[in-house]
Amino acid sequence: MNHAIISCLHANLPAVEAVLNDIDRQGIHTITCLGDLVGYGPQPNEVVELIRKRGIATCQGCWDEDIIDGLNACECSYPSQLAERRGHLAHQWTDDQLTGENKSFLASLPTSLRRDRLLFVHGSPNSQHEYLLPDMDAFAALERVETAGADILFCGHTHQPYVRELRDGSIHVRLQNADHDCGQGEELTLPMRKIVNAGSVGEPRHGSTNATYVIHNDATDEVEIKEVAYDVARTCHAIVEAGLPKVFAWRLSHGFEFAEQAEDSSHVCER
Amino acid sequence: MIERWALVSGLRGNLETYDLIQRDLKKTRGVTALFVLGDLVGPECNCDALLDRLKNPHRGDLKPDCIYGWWEEQLLAERGFRGERKADGLRLSQGEDAVTALLNMVNPSHLNWLASLQFGFIELDCALIHGSSSDVGDNLTSETSPLILLDRLTRLNVNRLFTARSTKQFHLELTGGGINSQVKDLNGKREQQQEVPKRSVIGIGAGVNYTLYDVGSDKTHFLTAGSQTKTKGMGFA
Repeated sequence: MNHAIISCLHANLPAVEAVLNDIDRQGIHTITCLGDLVGYGPQPNEVVELIRKRGIATCQGCWDEDIIDGLNACECSYPSQLAERRGHLAHQWTDDQLTGENKSFLASLPTSLRRDRLLFVHGSPNSQHEYLLPDMDAFAALERVETAGADILFCGHTHQPYVRELRDGSIHVRLQNADHDCGQGEELTLPMRKIVNAGSVGEPRHGSTNATYVIHNDATDEVEIKEVAYDVARTCHAIVEAGLPKVFAWRLSHGFEFAEQAEDSSHVCER
Repeated sequence: MIERWALVSGLRGNLETYDLIQRDLKKTRGVTALFVLGDLVGPECNCDALLDRLKNPHRGDLKPDCIYGWWEEQLLAERGFRGERKADGLRLSQGEDAVTALLNMVNPSHLNWLASLQFGFIELDCALIHGSSSDVGDNLTSETSPLILLDRLTRLNVNRLFTARSTKQFHLELTGGGINSQVKDLNGKREQQQEVPKRSVIGIGAGVNYTLYDVGSDKTHFLTAGSQTKTKGMGFA
């Protein structure tokens, strides 16, 4: 059976509607959302209410957590102080806009969802804020999946969709302790595991303006990365109208991170 | 000149054990540094005399470089040095009496010094940490999955991780292996191969059981303070 996984909606209602329509057209009834319903975008309440109305199983993203906990989590990933200031502005704006009911919904979300050997998280099993990038150390990537007791780990957070299969792994070890040296050593054969990143519905950064999500077939384990065009201009206009930083609209209309010259070459996290 | 580190942990207030180790080290050639990897305090005996000695070494003592361990973390949390956190780990594992005992064994005048201790040291290509790069309470042993050990090494990009939390003495080398991965994205597919770097995790022991590490030859020696037989066997008489 096919099921769809969406992530990083970021209060972009036209993108969310377009993706859900695309999923519906394929007759897929099981949808899992990996969080970040809000942040950056201009329609946080509308997006949260749509997810609630559709009854989509959702885990909490880093933005959802920060809105509830008040920027408690570390955000060192901002590339500059300018970007961090913009992020805080968006946080404050979103906090002001969200209804109490929608905040309660975000607070109620679990940090992970599990269906048999499939695990769904926003960032990684360790943290909503950890990035599992497609080229990260393969052993560390495998450790995240294996330690969580999953065969396939579905994540988002990077805004770049990918499927990574980790296979044919082994580690040779040799032990010496206070009593003996075990000489030849042993070999551990590592299991085959998969990481599937759903990309981003509401704020793609993979080099295209299209929203992305993935479809997984739980019988064959095949994964398809889907791209969906939507009315980007409508969201960009709404961002500017709402008084949010115009860079957010620029980013949506280009499909990648806005790279400015950082005013601080050695930016460090403020916490 | 030989550069040799002494690595100690789990003293838990026991000045006698520390004194025994210092006496051993005086008789051992080439020891240039003494690292105390946490658990300076504990609930079993009054810790003040040991903490005074660590802060103010006697003449002839090898000067200790200390980091904090799991017991300091519990103490500092309970005393309000860790934000809203309390000594939940200790309370859960050993109960309220253990928390009370710990508080009673350390004079509050030591708290600021304990709070100033670092999580770990990076020396050359080695990490010296009580638990691991993941957490001060991370309990790495020779039975821990090599995948987890490799992850803890990778997080700090070091070749050797010296850990104390398990209280065990072991030297586990990752000597080879590899992994293949295939990444598929909207630009297509690409294959990647990665080899296991030669790296080690070393459990240094606790209390009277400590470790010497020869930096130049990458050799570890597991010793017991006051055990002349073992010391002679290792060639450090």
